[in-house]
Amino acid sequence: MKFWMQRVAMAILLLLSVSALTFGAMNVLGDPLFNILGPLAGDVNNPKSAALIEEVKVKYDLDKPLPVRYVKWLGDFATGDMGVQFSTDGQPPVSGLIKERIPRTISLLVMAQLLAVMISIPWAAITAARAGKRSDKISTMNSFFLLAMPNFALAILLKYIFSLKLGWFPLTYKAIDPFFQQMRQMFLAAVTIALPAAAVYQRLLRTDLITTLQQDFILMARAKGLSRSRVIFRHAIRPSMFSFITVVGLNTGGLIGGSIVVETVFRIPGIGSSLVESVLREDFPVVLAIVMLIALAFVIINVLVDVLYSIIDPRVRR
Amino acid sequence: MSEETVTVSDSADTEINAAIQKKIGWGFWLAISWVIFITLLAILAPYLNLKDPRGYFIDIDGNGRPPYSPSFEHWFGTDKDARDIFSRSLHGARISLIVGFSAISFGFIVGGSLGIIAGYFRGWLDKVISFTFIILLSFPSLVLAIMLTALLNRSLFTISMILGILSIAPVGRLARASTLQFSDREFVLAARQIGASDSRIILRELLPNVVIPMSALALLGMAVAIVAEGGLAFLGLSVSQGITWGSLIQIGSDSATTLENAPWIAFFPILLLFLTVLSLNFAGDRLRSHLDVKESSL
Repeated sequence: MKFWMQRVAMAILLLLSVSALTFGAMNVLGDPLFNILGPLAGDVNNPKSAALIEEVKVKYDLDKPLPVRYVKWLGDFATGDMGVQFSTDGQPPVSGLIKERIPRTISLLVMAQLLAVMISIPWAAITAARAGKRSDKISTMNSFFLLAMPNFALAILLKYIFSLKLGWFPLTYKAIDPFFQQMRQMFLAAVTIALPAAAVYQRLLRTDLITTLQQDFILMARAKGLSRSRVIFRHAIRPSMFSFITVVGLNTGGLIGGSIVVETVFRIPGIGSSLVESVLREDFPVVLAIVMLIALAFVIINVLVDVLYSIIDPRVRR
Repeated sequence: MSEETVTVSDSADTEINAAIQKKIGWGFWLAISWVIFITLLAILAPYLNLKDPRGYFIDIDGNGRPPYSPSFEHWFGTDKDARDIFSRSLHGARISLIVGFSAISFGFIVGGSLGIIAGYFRGWLDKVISFTFIILLSFPSLVLAIMLTALLNRSLFTISMILGILSIAPVGRLARASTLQFSDREFVLAARQIGASDSRIILRELLPNVVIPMSALALLGMAVAIVAEGGLAFLGLSVSQGITWGSLIQIGSDSATTLENAPWIAFFPILLLFLTVLSLNFAGDRLRSHLDVKESSL
């Protein structure tokens, strides 16, 4: 019980620090008044704009000290009120924008993660069965190449080959299209995220599989006359999946960062491309809300994986 | 690899050392040569008699409208404003490499000292520093970088600092872990017994033991920083007005027609970026297995 309490307390402390840091950075390094009013914000001597400045200060609580604003903002955020967008005169509110865009990012990430797992398991099985042979070495080289390719470059390459030259996938994402159409429009984006992730998963699973394959029960299964592929897929994979599952879980958070660039390349109006747009438009409530949500998801996923891990393997609790 | 065999005998030991020495091999040196080569080109770019990276080379003699494909005149072709890609790629290497190098240096100086302090003094100092690392690690790094670039003016200095801040936590954690390991070893105890001060122990005993095995991380971290800078530049959030690999790639791919009709605009910078990151990754990986730093602690 003490273990869980500690975990949860740590997560809450972490979330509070992360949110305070984000909020503080936004308000100390940035200038919210300027973002709302533009050049007018500096025009204090003109009585007309001075009145406007006062009005805005009261409306957005900018006249109160930073800690007070933080607590109020945190309370609002927790109840789903993320403020108004500066750039669109407040309509729709930030929460509306996010509600519209978040399902796309989530489906992109789920698709990417599924693809990565589907690619990495057979890939690891084949390379583990041939460890040290030429095909294994070629595969190691391949994953080196994959991991050295920045995701925006990989996205452009895939877009060039499969959308522009071969025409297999549509170039644009249309929000009104039916679900399966959208999945097809997102497919290349998902592959871009999935390939490097698959390379990481494969490395890990391959190492664990090689260890498992040296154990006696595998020899026994082979001696019984089972085929090699049956031994790998029915007997060896399951006991080797342990750290694989953990890393896949932990990596989900990391993929969120990748989705920012990939959504921008493939013009998918998700949360990542929204972050970039709002940064370029200096629309701080949107930036703040998205950074907070991502950090939130990141911390929660890490805690969940930690907890799951300790359920599977009670030894880590001590 | 050598755990069971180390105890055999001296001659076997040297043989293993020779094998490891051999194993770092030509691949490592090839990768390092590429990094040195591209760095030299980047440093010497203004003196190499290249075409002006900001000049427009519109061909009046009837080659049609730009972009021009690669030719003897323009080795990597030109973009749609008839600017020379070869010259721009080499000039672009300057910002990318400077940012990569200063970011990881900053990460090593700040993260390394914090990590060593945390690992050496332990106690509440360790708790505070470790928690700071955890906070830094609870943002996906690109998200933190984007947030900070949104707030600061985008100069070469701030971009390097931002990416440097991102590398504090990974470097610091490794430094802390290996300091914890070394600070219980006999030579540190011996130094303390003869009355060496804390700062002397840290500088003379711990620093060399902690930092040298981390040189592999420096190469890997530089690759990460270069990719991150590329990503920021690609999103239009890196050094403003600067030519970098990321912004060149962005220019070559911002519209589907440009990418389809003139792929060389994006592909040559991608190639240089790819080769550089590949070399740094490969050299770092080789160096790591050469120095035998445990993978789990990286």
